[in-house]
Amino acid sequence: MAIIEQPLAIGTGRAPEVRSPLGVFARPTAKGGWRSWVTTVDHKKIGIMYGAAGLVFFLVGGIEALLIRIQLARPDGSLLSAETYNQIYTMHGVTMIFLVAMPLGAAFSNYFIPLQVGARDVAFPRLNAFSFWCFLVGGLFLSSSWIFGGGADGGWFAYAPNTGVAYSPGHGMDFYALGLQITGIASLVGAINLITTVLNMRTKGMSLMRMPVLTWMLLVTQFLLLFAIPVITVALFLLTFDRRFGANFFRVEAGADPLLWQHLFWIFGHPEVYVLVLPAFGIVSEIIPTFSRKPIFGYSFMVGSGIAIGFMGWGVWAHHMFVSGIGPLSVTAFSLSTMFIAVPTGVKILNWLATMWGGRLRFEVPMLYAIAVPAMFTIGGLSGVTHSVSPADTQQTDTYYIVAHFHYVVFGGIIMAFYGGFYFWWPKIFGYKLDSKLGKVNFWLQLIGMNMTFGPMHILGLQGMSRRIDHYSPGFGFEFWNLIVSIGAFIIALSVASFLVNVVLSTVRYKRGLIPPAGPDPWDARSLEWMTASPVPEHNFDEEIEVRGLDEFWHRKYGYDKDHKVVRIATGEEVAHKGDNKNVHLPSPSYWPLVVALGLPLIGYGLIFNLLLTIPGAILLLGGVYGWVMEPPDDPNKAHGHDDHDDPSPGLALASVGAEEVGNG
Amino acid sequence: MKRISSPHTGSIGAFRRGPRRALALVGTLGVSAFVTSCASGAELDTMKPKGPTADDLHNLIVPVFIVAGVVLALVIGGTILMIRKFGVKEYTEVDFPEQIHGNTRLEIGWTIVPAMILAVVAVFTVSVLQTQNKYHKDQALSVVVVGQQWWWEYRYYDGGFDPAKNYDLGIDVRLNEIQNHKGKTEKHPVIVTATQLVVPVGTEIDLYITSRDVNHSHWIPALNGKRDAIPGRIQPWKIEADDPGVYFGQCTEFCGLSHSRMRMQVVAMTDADFQTWWAQQKAPATATTPEGQAWLDQQKAITAGTFNSKVDPSKVLAAPTASAADRGMAIFRGQCTRCHLATGINEDIYTGEAQQVSKAAPNLTHFSSRTTYAGGIFNLYNPDGTVNRPQLEAWLRNPPKEKPAYAVGERGMPNLQLSEPQINDLVEYLLSTGTKPAAEIITKTEVE
Repeated sequence: MAIIEQPLAIGTGRAPEVRSPLGVFARPTAKGGWRSWVTTVDHKKIGIMYGAAGLVFFLVGGIEALLIRIQLARPDGSLLSAETYNQIYTMHGVTMIFLVAMPLGAAFSNYFIPLQVGARDVAFPRLNAFSFWCFLVGGLFLSSSWIFGGGADGGWFAYAPNTGVAYSPGHGMDFYALGLQITGIASLVGAINLITTVLNMRTKGMSLMRMPVLTWMLLVTQFLLLFAIPVITVALFLLTFDRRFGANFFRVEAGADPLLWQHLFWIFGHPEVYVLVLPAFGIVSEIIPTFSRKPIFGYSFMVGSGIAIGFMGWGVWAHHMFVSGIGPLSVTAFSLSTMFIAVPTGVKILNWLATMWGGRLRFEVPMLYAIAVPAMFTIGGLSGVTHSVSPADTQQTDTYYIVAHFHYVVFGGIIMAFYGGFYFWWPKIFGYKLDSKLGKVNFWLQLIGMNMTFGPMHILGLQGMSRRIDHYSPGFGFEFWNLIVSIGAFIIALSVASFLVNVVLSTVRYKRGLIPPAGPDPWDARSLEWMTASPVPEHNFDEEIEVRGLDEFWHRKYGYDKDHKVVRIATGEEVAHKGDNKNVHLPSPSYWPLVVALGLPLIGYGLIFNLLLTIPGAILLLGGVYGWVMEPPDDPNKAHGHDDHDDPSPGLALASVGAEEVGNG
Repeated sequence: MKRISSPHTGSIGAFRRGPRRALALVGTLGVSAFVTSCASGAELDTMKPKGPTADDLHNLIVPVFIVAGVVLALVIGGTILMIRKFGVKEYTEVDFPEQIHGNTRLEIGWTIVPAMILAVVAVFTVSVLQTQNKYHKDQALSVVVVGQQWWWEYRYYDGGFDPAKNYDLGIDVRLNEIQNHKGKTEKHPVIVTATQLVVPVGTEIDLYITSRDVNHSHWIPALNGKRDAIPGRIQPWKIEADDPGVYFGQCTEFCGLSHSRMRMQVVAMTDADFQTWWAQQKAPATATTPEGQAWLDQQKAITAGTFNSKVDPSKVLAAPTASAADRGMAIFRGQCTRCHLATGINEDIYTGEAQQVSKAAPNLTHFSSRTTYAGGIFNLYNPDGTVNRPQLEAWLRNPPKEKPAYAVGERGMPNLQLSEPQINDLVEYLLSTGTKPAAEIITKTEVE
């Protein structure tokens, strides 16, 4: 224990010099206001920012969806020109996948992985901030294409050669390629960070098979990102080189084969689906046991099926290409792999149902969502199985049947689960519950709206309505269901509005003292994040937690009597940490992650408009990296505590160990 | 309000009416979507097969839809059952369920049972997949299908076309530049037409699908699934229609601005009708009057160098004036040749490369024998058999207004700034180029 008695900043035993020439290297110390947000390295603040940014982009993507549905409500819709429509539907897909579902998943990952494994923060806090800022500037860069001549118009899948300069002469596809490149950095950095966190920073006794299912699913997700993002990175670089520097990777007249893009895109694109869906599975796996008063049924099967999905997810990409002409042998192989990936998914759904079986189901808002997810996801999963019947898929693919399928997965599965997650963890994050009545309105509108919107799309697809068409003619039998779909879309919009109203109203009420603080454990939950105050204090836990089994927190609240009946031994309030330990060493804020990230869009604009712009971008980037490297690991004059007051004694050294690794990260 | 006596037997407010509503909604929308298709007159309906391959696909997928529907009903039914059976209003300090952590036997069971159901589906899938991918049964008729922004070209070959043995310089100039043609012979199509693929019934037609610019997808739902048209690749496919009729299709791979306006039809005819059509299409077009034909012949002689207009200026014939169709023909030769070929009218001066990114524009030799044009979005004839002149005139007046094309050009037909008399003459010419299709084809082309 001797070593931790020493000053913690460097660990050499000798106070380091303060290097702050021109003040530029001093660490920021803002505790409140916007400065504390832009310089934060706290995984929770970063998680909240991911969530907030994701929700804002959700509204943007939602408005795009509504424009699409107004256009298609009636035959020969004329609200949007063909040109605008193609940009709107492309940006709807790009926004919803890359700027909504991914950051919302990242929000849950950032906020809850460290908490659920009992850690002080993520392994590399500054990298974590960098990853968020990359996402944000990448998303804004991508969206700025609307100002600079129009959004991408080649579909989110961006099939070559339609994305070449000859066929897409505007700058939209450049923004697509470079914007996704920047958000890709965010995902990649985040994946490395979170994998390290899970593998190295678990609290005492937290073996891998004692981690909550959510953390497990998020861990698998990070591995998928780690291997999938490099593939899309390569593809996007090839596209950028084709478009900006006249390379020939996808130019057929120069000998290219357009299927190269399809393979690269879907080798990334299909694991990406599981990147989106596994966090949702994890969230449901946390909510259902809590509101069933039962442990998750078949924990190891749940973990195992998640890992199996993670592996098998790499072997199904060409089912997106059944009509591309990849040959009957390839089609057979990918048909079979696609069919059998349904098995681990089915295991998850049945295990959720088995968790509920015999439980005491309490229909709080998070539970409503968590019950709806398996049902809705089953619809998406079953239509997925029908796609794997590859000969029949030659009829379904690129019709609205596919649109129905993946919206049941992405909206019915993922977005519904995220909503459940918001309602579930809102008290943990902000200290008060969202209104339950409005939450139920939100839920039912969502469920009815989504089924009205995406259910009839199955019929439209089987009736032969193609995807990605800016209008349809009367006489093909598309009129009725398209109208229903459009009405459904507006019900979803209403539901989203009710969520926003709920957030505003509940916040105002809480601020006025009209609703009580939720306390550390408002739902009688099971995992470690509930074992500290709400909102979670900056240092997470007052002291290191020793874990003795799965659902540690629950087992500290409940025991068994001699008849093996559950009896309460303590309340959540009693078990949970008070969150008032001021003597915890925390990583200091830093503005360098933001500076480095800001260089990237500048380079992007430079590549599109004028190469000279890349110079300030590169200077910002490299200068930022220099500042990052050179800034002191801490301000040694204000060694400990929350870095704003002197720390008379190294005190709670135990808790500082993890944080110290963090600080040097 | 019903009083809830036991905390875990009553139904709960939120789900009180909820389950029924949810069941009705999800049940009707979800299940009915899988097993039925309801609209009548749905010309693109995938559930109304009209050919042997489409039949196979239909017979394969319907049982899968039914199994999927049953599974869905079980999952949703089970969920609702549990909601009703295990719902409680509030938690108490004493009421806890048994803390079951799992049941390995059960879990292995529900891993294996779905896998076995899927294995059965897999057997039938692979079997149909093999049938669907068996081509060249009788080699009666080969058609190379070429997609480009935003219309389809059909190139007919007598006695079959085999991309391993043949190449066709007209398919894609760029494609052929990059391919090694050693050991292959050049083969020319007998007939080149656009937007309507005319086939005899009861015959398996070999299709070879490719593209001149971006990816497209050729899809006639009533006859077979779709196959992408990929530039640089020639992909085999097949169609067969059981009965005479008009079968609608739509490009289903996003291909840029007017993707939604890239349509096509298969017109299936009896064998006798098809033979007549074949003979008519093979014949070159001619002028409508002897005056026009004489002028046309002389123009071709000038191109060929057998008549020198400078040597004999007095013998140069003036462009035809008497017949509107022949005036239109002269305008066609002057204005349209830079993109369109009409065999018999302008093959002498047509360069083989249209001023398009795709380097191709529709072959208009027997234009009026088709019922649709401009990528299948306009009908040439009204249901009563009369010509829809206003639409054709509007198309010639300003094509980009009728069908979106990129401002930078070279995609779709440009605005040629034709005068009204020119438009009138061109319409007359275009209507003189072929035999009007049979009345039942014209009526079936109408979707409304």
